[in-house]
Amino acid sequence: MSGGDPGAAGLVVFRDVHKAFDGKPVLRGMDLAVGQGEILFIIGTSGVGKSVTIKHLVGFLRIDRGEIWFDGRRVDQLDEKGFYAVRRRVGMVFQNATLFDSMTLAENVALPLRKHKRLRPTAALAQAMGRLEQVYLTGFADRYPAELSDGMRKRAAIARTLTMDPEVVLFDEPTTDLDPVNARRIDRLIRELSRDLGVTSIVVSHDLTAIFTIADRVAFLYQGRVHALGTPDELRRSPDPVVQQFIGGHATGPMETPGF
Amino acid sequence: MTAVRTWLLARVTRVGAGTIAAVVAARDLWLVLVGTIAGIWRQYGRRGAPRPTDDLVEQLHVIGNRSLLFVAVTLGFIGMVMIYQACLQFSRSIGDLSQVGPQFVRLIVSDFGPTLTAMMLATRVGAGIAAEIGSMKVTEQVDALRLSGVLPVDYLLVPRFLASLVMTIVLSVIGSAIMYGAGAVTAYLSFGVNPRLFVDLGFVEPRHVILGLLKAAAYGAAIPVVAGSCGLRARGSSEGVGWATTAAVVGSSFAVIAIDFALSVGALWLLGGDL
Repeated sequence: MSGGDPGAAGLVVFRDVHKAFDGKPVLRGMDLAVGQGEILFIIGTSGVGKSVTIKHLVGFLRIDRGEIWFDGRRVDQLDEKGFYAVRRRVGMVFQNATLFDSMTLAENVALPLRKHKRLRPTAALAQAMGRLEQVYLTGFADRYPAELSDGMRKRAAIARTLTMDPEVVLFDEPTTDLDPVNARRIDRLIRELSRDLGVTSIVVSHDLTAIFTIADRVAFLYQGRVHALGTPDELRRSPDPVVQQFIGGHATGPMETPGF
Repeated sequence: MTAVRTWLLARVTRVGAGTIAAVVAARDLWLVLVGTIAGIWRQYGRRGAPRPTDDLVEQLHVIGNRSLLFVAVTLGFIGMVMIYQACLQFSRSIGDLSQVGPQFVRLIVSDFGPTLTAMMLATRVGAGIAAEIGSMKVTEQVDALRLSGVLPVDYLLVPRFLASLVMTIVLSVIGSAIMYGAGAVTAYLSFGVNPRLFVDLGFVEPRHVILGLLKAAAYGAAIPVVAGSCGLRARGSSEGVGWATTAAVVGSSFAVIAIDFALSVGALWLLGGDL
């Protein structure tokens, strides 16, 4: 991936990205390109830098070295104001649903419409209802987040992200803490986004069922770099012992995990 | 030699790290202050600004109404203790208690009323703001705001700043009155001082009132800025929120004392000895 026009390599391109926290390196020259409309899963052990990677794309973290490109434009050097333009096109669903406790579901979902698109509150609420319908939550529009289940909150957070009609959605462990039924519903939603709306999804996950059901490609992050990249089947058939240990969930093997 | 060198290096590193942390904290504080003032302009100042009132009204209630009982009770007790001690000292030294009330009210208006009210608010309001914003920070709600196109300072700090500014002034006036009233009752019950003698505003001049109100406004502005900046610096999980809350209470109490000192010295310098 060295040289050439990064824009041609994919819609989202990470090139030789380095990031350290308090002197401890997390990403050490990570390269990754994500194509338009694909569902790419980033997998790896806890603390390997999966969430860190996607947070760089929307400017919540700043890289130490390297480049990040979005739609042919370099974004890692943007300031906070510059990132607001990126955040209109790139949505993110956080690990904790991160709904605002003081607002109802409908108000939560309407917030980006009011702020990014500058809609009036009534118009924003009307559009928010449509989005809630998309995630099967119409009957809960007037409820507060604390009154709902984890799965409902997660779906509402997805609805809030969708209000901006994002071209890319970043999912940070969308099915963690969810029961299997709700987890599969979220999977279906991600699949529909890609199939019906052409949305590019970058999903950080440990959920092997989701990976082997909906992923187009999987990037396995290990020691600060993309260690293996391919379709779920390619990964399953990979002879690499580290990949096999992770996919098989074996406690012992060649994988080096800090703290063990 | 090596041991001494290592020891020295460790000490220098420690001082250096502390200095850097202090500079970073001061810079954050400054950025939050400037950001909040710019946020007030964005939301209320310019033509066609959104002027959101719901959050502001709620914060006025949380910071003002809900602190009223706490401020009233603590300032009432402090007023009683201070007057009891003052009467005791006066009766032992000069025996004339007629001047206790008039001198005490001057002190309350220009210093004790607003400062002690603000010290109480620094603990209650400062801790509340830091805990609320800190937990939003560690649960990524602040990032979710940024993703929704909302500047966190506009949404989180502007209503708290305005509410604190208004309510610290209001509570300072109420607190001062209660402190004075409690003092008058104590002086009457314990030392038989006639309330008509005690309640004498003859020594209070407009400049004392202006200084007191100025102090209350400065405290009211400082508490949410210090507490908010601590909340926004919270990291990790519940431990980070705990750190932010402690830092907010310590920081905003210190800010109150520092502002009191600075404004008192400034007033002395401007107005001369008679404060």
